[in-house]
Amino acid sequence: MFSGKRVKPLTPYFLILPAVLAMLLVHFFPIIWGVMISFRDLDIFTISNWTKAPFVGLDNFRWAFSFDQQEGQNFLRSLYNIVLYGSVTISLGYVIALAVAILLNQKFFGRTTVRGLVLLPYIMPDSVAYSVWRFIFQSRIGIVNQYLISLGLLKEPVVWLVGPRAMTAVIIASIWKGWSLGCLLLLAALQSVPREIKDAALSDGATPWQVFRYVTFPFLKPVSKIYILLSIIWNFHAFNQFKAMLGSSPGYYAEVPSTLILREAFQNFHFGLGAAMSMGLVVLTVVIAVVYARLFQPGKTIEE
Amino acid sequence: MNSGRKVLRMIGIYVGAIIVVVVVLFPYLWMVSGSFKSTLEIQSADFRDPELPPRWIPRHFTWENYTRINQTVRMLDYFKNSMVISGGTMLASIFLSLFAAYSLSRFRFRLKEPYVGSLLLTQMFPGILFLIPYYVMFVVFNRFTGVQLRNSYLGMIFTYTSFALPFSILMLRSFLAGIPREIDEQAQIDGCSTLGIIFRIILPLARPGIAAVAIYGFIMAWNEMLFASVLTGTETKTVAIGLLEFITTQESRWAGMMAASVIVTIPVLILFTFVQKQIIEGLVGGATKG
Repeated sequence: MFSGKRVKPLTPYFLILPAVLAMLLVHFFPIIWGVMISFRDLDIFTISNWTKAPFVGLDNFRWAFSFDQQEGQNFLRSLYNIVLYGSVTISLGYVIALAVAILLNQKFFGRTTVRGLVLLPYIMPDSVAYSVWRFIFQSRIGIVNQYLISLGLLKEPVVWLVGPRAMTAVIIASIWKGWSLGCLLLLAALQSVPREIKDAALSDGATPWQVFRYVTFPFLKPVSKIYILLSIIWNFHAFNQFKAMLGSSPGYYAEVPSTLILREAFQNFHFGLGAAMSMGLVVLTVVIAVVYARLFQPGKTIEE
Repeated sequence: MNSGRKVLRMIGIYVGAIIVVVVVLFPYLWMVSGSFKSTLEIQSADFRDPELPPRWIPRHFTWENYTRINQTVRMLDYFKNSMVISGGTMLASIFLSLFAAYSLSRFRFRLKEPYVGSLLLTQMFPGILFLIPYYVMFVVFNRFTGVQLRNSYLGMIFTYTSFALPFSILMLRSFLAGIPREIDEQAQIDGCSTLGIIFRIILPLARPGIAAVAIYGFIMAWNEMLFASVLTGTETKTVAIGLLEFITTQESRWAGMMAASVIVTIPVLILFTFVQKQIIEGLVGGATKG
């Protein structure tokens, strides 16, 4: 950071003021307000005068994390589901993205076209993409069952979107939607690896795997770390894929915090409980992100 | 031997590339194919019956799903709502982020680092966390001022603008940092005010960056589902949520849904091709060069 103008010291503040005001109203106040609501028993009768809602201390949090109440069981299960969903989607998505990026870094006829097409899953709007996947996964009229049966992998058509397979279906659709951004980022990083270093390593007798592991991969590390960190945040807050493919109530095996909280707050009108559950989700995300950041230190390598 | 391995390698590459293309295009093609089928054809499809498996090429090609797009689900109205909300978000986020990004790229001030930090921090919180207090805020605001923000264009534009802002500001800041300061200084010597510099000098020079921010805001508002599912009503429902109405407990109108899907995707597809480079770079670059 070097020279800045110091003509009118207030000018920079005036310029960021509108953005700050908008974000205060939509980001910062609601966070504080959300904390306050989570300590109150706010329902449909008290909502227009929320300060009148009884203060209940940590009751909402106890409720959200209780093993012996239905809401608590649902919430704990949804936390388990989102961790399962997040870890499978992120790890498989990353491996696929990396494999395709390496493939598209080779010289072949039509490479530019294929690279352009890779963006398509990322561009398709969430509601469209997951609605189409919902269509694809239909039991009787869906094309997935048709192919699995004609390949002999299935005997009878299976129900994908209800029950234990629902999560698998959502994960497959989410990987399809998610890998393409990672692939483009990794491809850009691959193109920054100097040709000479690779050639030098190869002529020194390194195997292709060694070249990848010790020469190429270090170049991919910074972008990989940031991308996985962002993926953790995005996937733990996932809502669209579950809503579009499974509806407002995805069921025991595929319930995730966002869908559960939405129903608790806006169908059962337990606003306080919903706010407490949101806090629980935030804490989970922050803990995982911080552990990840401590282990891999994504910010550090980017500066090097 | 060596050339044999080379041939094998090339075959491997082409097979891989073909798999990638097939996987990427599969849902797109199934969507387009479904949009030209009749509801009857889709519903009567049954792969256990050798006469009636679901097919890629429609048995009876029909435009009906497109011509009747507004009949069962008011898709055209939702399309208009989305256009207004996304367009409004686009304009509002251009202006707010232009001022903020200019300030961040040109001045040094005490609250700069905390402010940038808070922009990044907002990305850590799930939308659902904001939704409940936000809803309460709308209700309370309505009670005190009588202004209805829920189920109104204004409320939605305001919401989406502030969602688009953190990323827009960071993206535009790195773009403005590339415009030499000497240009502003020269203008200042010539007697131009700060606002004059922003509108007369920076605005024209930063057009590509602004286009990227604008389109990012538009697409974000076009695709958002969580807030739209609670805060919009019959008059303001957006396409992202309206699309789901094709499937009800009574009836599954897949053909209509696929036609609507095509129509919802096209604006995004067109806009994205203009700015894909800036958005992809900004998405990771802008967020990391804090």
